Amino acid sequence: MRKTLDRKLSRRKFLGTTAASGAALAATGTGLSRVSFAAADTIKIGFLAPFTGPVAAWGKPGYDGCLIWADWVNAKGGVKIGGKSHKIEFVGYDNEYDAGKARTGATKLIKEDGVKFIMMLGGDTWPGVEKIAAREGMLFSTLLPSDLSPDTKTLVAPCEVHPIYNVTGVEWLAENKKNLKTAAICAQDDALGKPSVATYLAAFEAAGIKMVDAPLFFDPATTDFAPVMTKLLAKKPDILCLDTCYADYVHPLCEQAFQQGYKGQIISCTADFYQKIVEKTSKDFMEGFVFQFPDFDDPALNAKEVNFVKPNEFYTEYAKRFGAKEWSAVSWEYASIMDLWADAAAKAGSAEPGPVLKAMKAGGTGKHAFGDAKWWGKELFGIDNALVGNWPVVVIEGGKAKIKAFKSIPAWWDKHSKLMIKHMTALGQMWNQR
Amino acid sequence: MDLLWQTAINAMYAASYMALIAVGLVMIFGVMGVINFAHGELYMVGAYCVVFLYAQEKFPFLLSVAAGLIFVGIVGLLMERTMFRPLRKNPLGGLIASIGFLLILQTLAVLGFGRRMGHVPPPTQGKIEIFGAILTYQRLFVIVAAILLLAALWAFLKRSKFGWALRACAQDAEAASLQGISMNQTARIAMFIGAALAGVAGALTAPLVSPSPYIGHSIIVTAFIIIIVGGIGSLEGAVIAAVLYAFVHTFVTTFFDGVIANIVGLALMFAVLVVRPTGLFGARERA
Repeated sequence: MRKTLDRKLSRRKFLGTTAASGAALAATGTGLSRVSFAAADTIKIGFLAPFTGPVAAWGKPGYDGCLIWADWVNAKGGVKIGGKSHKIEFVGYDNEYDAGKARTGATKLIKEDGVKFIMMLGGDTWPGVEKIAAREGMLFSTLLPSDLSPDTKTLVAPCEVHPIYNVTGVEWLAENKKNLKTAAICAQDDALGKPSVATYLAAFEAAGIKMVDAPLFFDPATTDFAPVMTKLLAKKPDILCLDTCYADYVHPLCEQAFQQGYKGQIISCTADFYQKIVEKTSKDFMEGFVFQFPDFDDPALNAKEVNFVKPNEFYTEYAKRFGAKEWSAVSWEYASIMDLWADAAAKAGSAEPGPVLKAMKAGGTGKHAFGDAKWWGKELFGIDNALVGNWPVVVIEGGKAKIKAFKSIPAWWDKHSKLMIKHMTALGQMWNQR
Repeated sequence: MDLLWQTAINAMYAASYMALIAVGLVMIFGVMGVINFAHGELYMVGAYCVVFLYAQEKFPFLLSVAAGLIFVGIVGLLMERTMFRPLRKNPLGGLIASIGFLLILQTLAVLGFGRRMGHVPPPTQGKIEIFGAILTYQRLFVIVAAILLLAALWAFLKRSKFGWALRACAQDAEAASLQGISMNQTARIAMFIGAALAGVAGALTAPLVSPSPYIGHSIIVTAFIIIIVGGIGSLEGAVIAAVLYAFVHTFVTTFFDGVIANIVGLALMFAVLVVRPTGLFGARERA
């Protein structure tokens, strides 16, 4: 083989243009077509989340859930505000989980579309929006309360208190599988992974479970997870903790664990599209897998404490429209936030962000999807803008997710708040460190 | 000891598919002088060939891989004819066109398969144990296939008339042309081979990764690091740098963590550029 093939571009040009082109690639954003019916009394709601890219599983399925929510609400005449019914229209914007694109999207949604409320996934995208939210006084919601700080006065986390609810899974595991004594954890190195690692470390410590090694952080661009799993399994942990890894990572991580002969307990924040993991590994391997997000066909969701409207019917409709295998952790979450928003707007008699926020937080309590909850977060986030109560612990049995218990996050917090603050501080995840 | 063996096996797998991708990229750059920014997307298209043919249409896995190789090779021919040939005298234009093509391929993948990762059931769950380390048949297959494909490429370049023509064009296109070698034909061959190598890498690894329309991004970044370390334009350099990078990255990931591994990988590139600006096997530029 010839040693060197010649160049028509100089090496310097190659290096320079490669870098420049890489930067240029980051400059696209996507406005999505809105779900539209031009009614005079329509209120527009912004949906600013990743529809594409590795985090899409926590954006697009939520948007799909909102479409069902809107259809159901609009079929009944809409949301009644100030004695008048208003139909709801969602305007989506794909931020590709990029802060710059989130900023562009927020500006468009507010200035061009005139939305009254914007729902986000949050995380790495929130810093791009924070100043706009403060300047415009727009009400935003996030699924990631780690975005909260005393400065984020118009940002609420009314559904998912990620990652705090992860303590319930560990607590359940410690109560029900007392033989498990050690754990290893990995996460992608980003705004979603780190606070979740701190939470799991606190939960394991509270449960008396020892970590066999320091948390393993991997680059979000990782495609080959064999080395990650080799390291995790090197010290033979009883529990393999997959933290809040994205679905694109949970699947290959599980497959690697299976291939490298792991037979122990796995716990993870999510297990989106877990049927596919079962297919890639085996039912036996996935038996007992603990995570935090139920399928909404679960009969346990019909308990009277649960506030989510018709969960089983919602799941059936979702499966009919988009396919049961498309159900993800967030399919129901944004819709449940809309329940809260609609309730608050009705109480406020206005769809304007200020009055809605005030009505939403009135009395310091609210109707969370999984039961009545309180507005909380001062110690951890510097502001009581997270709605926290019970959270389900879900276990895969016979290849199907089943709710095993609803456990109280505030009860855990009352006993172990110092541990949580210790680990959050150690990883630089407290609101005053971010 | 088990851990060392397991890590070495992991590194061999990573080196094998990275080498296929990097060699393809070098082939295209060496012969045509074009930086193909869409090379990661050619890998993605190869992976989706397996998603479609094997996972969805239930064709045999090997047939699906072969189809991926040929199909992506044909996509390469299309790129050569419609983009790179008209822009032959304008390499920067070729680069920009490849970025446009990258976005087209991503969009087509989204339209065809949705935004999320594709699902490819493992063709086999068999594995062997080597000194306490586990090597799955699937990974072994990728390693063996990569070695065979690279050996075949070496033989083609060294022994065949077309291979000589390719090397001649890469060395001096004008002189090669004066000797009666068709630039169009050699560019077609280079583009077919380069694209097919990326495609077959994607097809082979599809059951081991989560194919998504955007997987090409991380692949192309790694491929660029490798060809810069190996020496831009050097096929041997690309193979050796792929092995070097894969071993460094895998060992650092296993014994430290993945983020440090990336930093070390970039540091390796910078160190090579400082000590030897042409890369490990790159030739000095002519004035």
